[in-house]
Amino acid sequence: MTTTIPTTIQEQNNIEQSQQEVTIDQTAKMQAINVNAWFGSKQILKTVNLAVKPNTVTAIIGPSGCGKSTFLRCFNRMHELAPNAKMNGKILLDRENIYDRQTDPVQIRRRVGMVFQKPNPFPTMSIYDNVAAGLKLTGAKKGKQLDDIVKHSLEQATLWDEVKDDLKKSGTSISGGQQQRLCIARAIALQPEVILMDEPCSALDPIATAKIEKLVVDLKQDYTVVIVTHNMQQASRISDYTAFMYMGELAEFGETKQIFENPKNKLTENYITGVFG
Amino acid sequence: MSRLMSRLIDIVLKAQSMLLINMGELTYQALSTSTTAYLEGLTVQDQVREMSDKLLLMADEVEDRSFELISRFQPVASDLRTIKSYMKIGYDFSRYGRYALDIACINEQIHGLKTCRMNIKDSVEKMSETVLQMVKISVDALRTHDVELARTIAKLECEVDEMYLNHLKLLDEENDTTKCTVSSALTARYLERIADHAVYVCESIIYIVTGEKTRMR
Repeated sequence: MTTTIPTTIQEQNNIEQSQQEVTIDQTAKMQAINVNAWFGSKQILKTVNLAVKPNTVTAIIGPSGCGKSTFLRCFNRMHELAPNAKMNGKILLDRENIYDRQTDPVQIRRRVGMVFQKPNPFPTMSIYDNVAAGLKLTGAKKGKQLDDIVKHSLEQATLWDEVKDDLKKSGTSISGGQQQRLCIARAIALQPEVILMDEPCSALDPIATAKIEKLVVDLKQDYTVVIVTHNMQQASRISDYTAFMYMGELAEFGETKQIFENPKNKLTENYITGVFG
Repeated sequence: MSRLMSRLIDIVLKAQSMLLINMGELTYQALSTSTTAYLEGLTVQDQVREMSDKLLLMADEVEDRSFELISRFQPVASDLRTIKSYMKIGYDFSRYGRYALDIACINEQIHGLKTCRMNIKDSVEKMSETVLQMVKISVDALRTHDVELARTIAKLECEVDEMYLNHLKLLDEENDTTKCTVSSALTARYLERIADHAVYVCESIIYIVTGEKTRMR
C-alpha cells in the first residue's frame, strides 16, 4: 500500500523550495523526500528523493562537491551539527520522519550509525573501551553482558580473532584497516538498524579495503548499509543499488547492475566511464 | 557540465574496432571468393583457408585484447557493452570465415554448381548475393555504429530464410539425389548460418549503442 503525502517545510520558513509529489515507499527502510540542504546561502542538495531498501547496500557516487556526503549526513541528522547548515524535506526511518520536532537526534544517531572516511578510534581508550564507549555512555550494559556485546561486535566486524588477546591495548595501536573495522564494531555495538559509511576505505591499502568490502556485504544480513564512495569499482562490487549524484541532484538511481551496465542518464554514463572530470 | 576528457581506454577501443573492421572486410573477401568460385567451378580452397585461418587468429587477438582491457581498465556502461560485443563479433566473423571455407571445400570435394541445372544454380546464386549484402551491412554498421542500418538486416534475414526453405523444396522435387543436390543443400545451409551470424553482429551493434538487447531472428 502506498500513501501520497505533501512535503512540509521543517525548519526554514524563508527558503524557497521545489517539491515533488512523492509516494511513500512502504518497503523502504529509509526514504529521503524532497531533501534540500544548504551551507549558508549555498545550496548543496536540490530536491533529492531516494528510497533505501532494508538489508541492502546502497552506494552513493558522484564527483567531489556533488553533495553525496552532505546527503549521507542528513540520514542521521549530522548535517545540522555543522555551522550554518540548513535542510528541509523529510527523511523517513521506518516511515517516520526523523526531523519531526519531538524526535531525539541522539536516538536517531543510535539507530542510524556512521563510519567516517578516516578511522577515528578514541585515542585514549583501549580497543575494548572503544567498542563499549557508546554503551557505557547510555549506561545500559555492564559486566558480562557488556563483554558479550563487545565480543559480538568485534566478531561481526571480523576483528575479534586479530585483537582478542590485546583488548586492553590502545585503539590506535592497531593498523589503519583494523582501526576502521574497530570503528565499524563501535557502530555495531549500539545495535543500529542502518549503518552509514562515508568513504570508509579511502585511507586504506588494497588488502584492508578488501576486508572492509567483504565486511560491508556481510553486514547487510543484519543491517541496512548506505555507503558513499569515490571508487566506482567498489560501488559495483559491493552495492545492490547505486545512486549517482551530480551538482546536488540525484541524477540516477537504480540497481547497481543496471547503473554500471546500462545507465539511462548520459551524465551517469559520462561519470562512470571517466569521460568528464 | 564538466569538460569532456580523452581517455586511455578510447585508444585501445579504437584499435580493437579497427581490428574488427579489418576482420569484417576479410570475411567479405573470403565469402565473395568462395561463393563466386563455387558457382563458377574455380579452385580457391587454399586461398580461402588462408583467410579463414587468419580470421581465427584475429578473433583470438580480439579476445586477448578484450581480457586485457577488462583487467586494466575495469570498464563499465558503454565501454563494457562494447568490449563484450566486440568479443562476440570477433567470434561471428570467424564463423563467417569458417563457413566460407566450408563452401570452398564442398566445391573441391563434392561439386561446384557450374554444370548443375540452372534452377539450382540460380537459387544458390540469389541466396549468396543476399547473404553477401547482409555481411556488408554488418561490417558497415560496425564501422559506423549505425543502428538504423543494423536494423535493416532483419528484413534480409527473413528473405534468406525463405530462400533456404524454397531451395530445400526445390531439391525435394528433384527425382534423384545427385552431387548437385547434396552440394547445394550443404552450401545453402552454410549461407543460412552466415546470415544468422550477420544478424548477431547487427544485434551486438544495437546493444553497444543503445544498451537494448534486440532479437531480430
